[in-house]
Amino acid sequence: MISGSNLEKVLRSGEFAVTGELGPPKSGAMDVVRKKAQILKRYVDAVNITDCQTAIVRMSSLTAGLIALSEGVEPVMQMTCRDRNRIGMQADILGAYALGIRNLLCLTGDHQKFGNHPEAKGVFDMDSIQLLQMIRRMRDEKRFQCGEEIKSDAPLLFLGAAANPFADPFEYRPIRLKKKVDAGANFIQTQIIYNVEKFKEFMKRVVDLGVAERVFILAGVTPPKSVGMARYMKNFVPGLDVPDEVLKRLKDAKDVREEGINIVVDIINEVREIEGIAGVHVMAIEWEEAVPEIVKRAGLYPRPEQAIEPVLMSNASIEEATDKVREEVEARLKKEIEDAKREAEASRALVLKEQERSSSKIKELNASISEKDKIIAQKEERINQLLKAIEAEKARLSELRESKAQVISREVMSSDDVTTQETLMMEDGEVYKKQLDFALNSMELGLNALKNVLGLNDDAYEALKRFIEAEFVLKGGVSGEVIPKRPETVVEPAPVAKKVEEKPEKAPQIEETEAREPAKAVEEPQVEPSKEATEAHIPPTPDGLSEEEWRVKYVIRLVARGNCALYEKDQDEAIKAFEEALSIDPDNEKAKIGLERAKKGEFPRFEQPRDVEEESPEGEPSKEEPSGEPEEEKGAKEEVEEVTVKAAEEVKEEEVKEKEEKETEEAVEVKEEAAIPEKKAEPTKVEEIKVGVEFLFNTPKLPLKDRIGDIPEDIFMEKATGSIREVVIGDGAKAITVGGSSALPFYLFEGSMPHAPKIAYDVLDCEPEEMPEPLKKYFDDCLSDPVKWAQKCVSEYGAEAICLSLVSTDPNGMNRASSEAAKVAKDVADAIDCPLILWGCGNAEKDTETLREVTALITDKKVCIGPLTDANYRNLGATAMAFGLPVIAATPIDVNLAKQLNILLENLGMGLDHILMDPSIGAVGYGLEYTYSVMERIRLAALMQQDDKLQAPFICNVGREVWKAKETRLESDALLGNQEVRSILLEAITASTLLLAGGELVIMRHPKAVALTEATIRGFTG
Amino acid sequence: MANMAKIVGFCCNYTSQVSKDVLEREGVIGEGVEFRRLPCTGRLEIPMLLDAFTEGAEAVFVAGCRIEGCHNKSGSLRASKRVKYAKALLEELGIDGARLEMFFTKRGSTADIVDAVKVMEDRIKS
Amino acid sequence: MIIASQKPLGEIMDMVEGAQKILILGCRGCVAVCSAGGDKEVRILASAVRLGRAKRGASVTIDEDTLVRQCDPEYLEGLNDRAKEYDCVVSMACGVGVNFVAERCPDVKVMPALNTTFYGANLSSGEWKEMCEGCGACVLHLTGGLCPVARCAKSLSNGPCGGSQGGRCEIDKDVPCVWHLIYERLHKFKEADRLEAIMPMRDWRPAGHGGPRHRMREDLLP
Repeated sequence: MISGSNLEKVLRSGEFAVTGELGPPKSGAMDVVRKKAQILKRYVDAVNITDCQTAIVRMSSLTAGLIALSEGVEPVMQMTCRDRNRIGMQADILGAYALGIRNLLCLTGDHQKFGNHPEAKGVFDMDSIQLLQMIRRMRDEKRFQCGEEIKSDAPLLFLGAAANPFADPFEYRPIRLKKKVDAGANFIQTQIIYNVEKFKEFMKRVVDLGVAERVFILAGVTPPKSVGMARYMKNFVPGLDVPDEVLKRLKDAKDVREEGINIVVDIINEVREIEGIAGVHVMAIEWEEAVPEIVKRAGLYPRPEQAIEPVLMSNASIEEATDKVREEVEARLKKEIEDAKREAEASRALVLKEQERSSSKIKELNASISEKDKIIAQKEERINQLLKAIEAEKARLSELRESKAQVISREVMSSDDVTTQETLMMEDGEVYKKQLDFALNSMELGLNALKNVLGLNDDAYEALKRFIEAEFVLKGGVSGEVIPKRPETVVEPAPVAKKVEEKPEKAPQIEETEAREPAKAVEEPQVEPSKEATEAHIPPTPDGLSEEEWRVKYVIRLVARGNCALYEKDQDEAIKAFEEALSIDPDNEKAKIGLERAKKGEFPRFEQPRDVEEESPEGEPSKEEPSGEPEEEKGAKEEVEEVTVKAAEEVKEEEVKEKEEKETEEAVEVKEEAAIPEKKAEPTKVEEIKVGVEFLFNTPKLPLKDRIGDIPEDIFMEKATGSIREVVIGDGAKAITVGGSSALPFYLFEGSMPHAPKIAYDVLDCEPEEMPEPLKKYFDDCLSDPVKWAQKCVSEYGAEAICLSLVSTDPNGMNRASSEAAKVAKDVADAIDCPLILWGCGNAEKDTETLREVTALITDKKVCIGPLTDANYRNLGATAMAFGLPVIAATPIDVNLAKQLNILLENLGMGLDHILMDPSIGAVGYGLEYTYSVMERIRLAALMQQDDKLQAPFICNVGREVWKAKETRLESDALLGNQEVRSILLEAITASTLLLAGGELVIMRHPKAVALTEATIRGFTG
Repeated sequence: MANMAKIVGFCCNYTSQVSKDVLEREGVIGEGVEFRRLPCTGRLEIPMLLDAFTEGAEAVFVAGCRIEGCHNKSGSLRASKRVKYAKALLEELGIDGARLEMFFTKRGSTADIVDAVKVMEDRIKS
Repeated sequence: MIIASQKPLGEIMDMVEGAQKILILGCRGCVAVCSAGGDKEVRILASAVRLGRAKRGASVTIDEDTLVRQCDPEYLEGLNDRAKEYDCVVSMACGVGVNFVAERCPDVKVMPALNTTFYGANLSSGEWKEMCEGCGACVLHLTGGLCPVARCAKSLSNGPCGGSQGGRCEIDKDVPCVWHLIYERLHKFKEADRLEAIMPMRDWRPAGHGGPRHRMREDLLP
């Protein structure tokens, strides 16, 4: 096989081949070609596309051939030597091959004199025989005509040539045919045959020359459409021999066209019998409709099946093809659905049975659980007893030790030699040691007992033992308070399987804190009323909570409900809630205060709830940030209050006087304490929000299996078939990995999400002309210095990654030189040790230039570069590959474009594990839903539909989009609320939403928004 | 009224011995007509025809022997070919080729010459 | 011989428009032999231009002269000075002559009166036919002395195309198919097998596609 074309396959299979002819239009009308192709489709094995026949300008044969190909009709592209020299022809041959043309008929071409441009210069750089030779050399020897090598993809074409058996000199014609075969012709199509006798003579000579076995010869036939046409062909077409008999048949016929078809069918039947004839070439120019009829009547229908794969396709044919495929798929799906339905019904019956069985089992299990609970309670009791025993033992030992310890400490004070000290201890500790051994022995006994009771494994036991020993030895004398507390924390989670206990464990801790610091929340109603209120429960203790825990929790809920009522100005409900809370927990300060306010009718102001979010869980920072000094904390708190107060003053000055007074006092206080630097206070503030959100997410979670009840897993579970590739950004210990998940975002019950989404801080490489105040105030000291800015993000806000936006390079803006921008990028890269993303200005050319400069400068760090678009992916892709850098592939909100760019990058040699997709995002109110939908579709395709070209992680440049929204610039007012809160929420919600859509790496600006988003991520990933 | 149109006629020595003065006096031809005698029209050269126009002739004709009866065998035939060539040149210059004509006349026939002058006069008028 | 034919007079008149004094310069080389630019044609052209100018209502002075050849420097000696008194020189030589006058006589504004057409033979008085194209790579030894490059409408190298019918070329019944003639001649000399070999693709550089051609014969150089 040479080209593998359909024509070649048919001919080589020994099948009698049929080719047709299609004259392209004298216009750019693609439809004409399509229609003609449609007529011929399935009736011929291939169709000749004429090359400006009779030298009349028409659509080029290459183009028309491609259109035919897109219609599923295999073209035989004709090429004449009249209009191009060897340079143009070889170029077109390569192009034709590249676009899927596989058959080429080589002709010298009609003289231009016959056409509509007789003034044209005829090129005739070569003749048809030399053309054959040239292409055969290109194909078989991979050499251009000049001898130069074709380095790859030589044009594998099935070569044809024409032969005119009726031209003069007749004796020379078979020799000329042989010459064409010698020159490389694989098949021959002859001139139109009417004079079969003469043709037989011709063929006899061809066979005698031994040519017929070396080439496939297709006999040319044409149905005469009218007597006039036949006469014209006889008299005016050079090299056409129309016997009078044919003219007579037509003249005598009732239906000339019918007779024309009959004549051709007769000729076909005759030539089929001639030795050396491998097929017919039916030329029905401007009468394509006759071809199907001719082919059928000649008994040549149906044609062998062919699989045409066009390189280029028209929209219409794509639609057609899609429709066809869709139909097939629908039919198949229908069948599958039917099958599945049947199966499902069968399994439903099964499931019902299973359900019955399992519900009884669950009952059994519940019973055994309550039994075990009892055992646990018993065990706990014994533990307490044992602990008390240990405590007593400890107390005794510590008394003994105290005296010794005093001696030792004196020795230590007086001696500067450690060895001496130890020796002293050894010597003096003779008595003490005995006592100590004794104490330790008894402790060990106790612990052994404990171990037996608790069923501890050896490791746990050892740990416990060491702990107590250490506690004892080190803090020997310290009294009661610490000791009873420790065992509590250690022991409690240890005995009952740790996993089960983990979640409830956290909740009480927080509630404890909540309960401990009610005084601080004096002015404000309780956190998140709505959230709490929606989860109203009845008093019975839910699973997984101890009664005590539940009690504390329930009180909090009641307080919350009360606050909520206060907020809604529902006095009765508030009083009711607070009273109930106090009835359970009479010491609850919050409830007390709430009750007091409720009774007084003091309702919180309108915008408070927003501020509350930020402010209320103030007590927490100490937990998140143990080093936080009380003074700072206080400063932070008051600063927040100041914000609230200011906002309040602006909006509702005529508020209750009493309140006003209070506020003024506080405001004054804040001013007095203004010495505390703002910067210092900020991180604390950020933490506040974090905690607030964490609180939300740490409210008790029902394990999945409790929520689903008896529903079998396979009904709701839809496991992904694919997974997202992992992309590593940065290097060293601080490198971050994104992607890798094998489930939809946060669908942890369906698959894994090995790497939680990451957040990078956005840093601009030049001082922004305008930055919304709420953001600006956090970075006011470093806006003009990207290095400082980045460092601040890392050191103060704990940024895991930095995105340096090279906005200054924008040719429509500052148009800073690439080299300068690169220097800045280099400085930033050197100043920070976390991963760095370099985001260009969006101008493809400039970005190419800038990012190349950057990569040349930053050689020691694996930065992530982008955006790569279809305009510059080649250059930047190559650069990135050279340095092994991950890239950002940016496309404008479109699944297909995203996929295409990934494919292009892959073709370049870049793996998906180096690509982050930027699907182009919009902020809330600025096209977020559009982005969401596109991202969701991309992710579904990647995970569920094996679309492996889309299995790259997403990067979302949220900060840039959000902070240009006008909502971040409008000042605080009654309708839109506090500017900062609003802006933060805008950024955090946008980011969180995109995380839900699959975002793996988001770029953000506001520290608080980042904190909120991080809390969201933690909440979702548990 | 006498016709003043300037017409130049090249006449063969054998065809016409006619005197312009006689004809003019008789009032047969106009004052503007001028005859130039050639030994044989075969002696005619294209520049003569063109120059006649340049000198102001509105029409020019050549009168030679009948083709089959040329005194010098092919003289008038050659002349006619040159006239044809000159006509083409005139056309190229934007001059009506009909203003130049070849006449084959009977030997010694004055009437033929007068007819030729008339034909040319008519052509000038039209 | 180089064959040429006179340009249409209208074209020549436009060329010399505005020139008061013109020298019409013939050549006694090829163009005189093919009756396109010899003494006779000079005279005819001079008369025609005078007439044309008269018709345009303007006067002109025209001198006539004919050189032995315009393509040899010796015959052009003194032309530069002599031609200074003319507004333009209308050369009736072939393109070679016009070029050479232009190159040798920097002060002369030279105009072509002829279209130089081909290398032809004189079939009979007044009829010339192309026989050679000056392709610079003669194959006549392979083709029975008949040139397929100049005489085949498509310059085919490998035998008659499908349009050859009854020994005539498809482009014009009056044109013989040179490949048919070649076939017959080779048959006559029993060399028909030459037509079975494939003639390779031509190198068109000697035909002028490689740039202006130039010939030197060292032994004759001054």
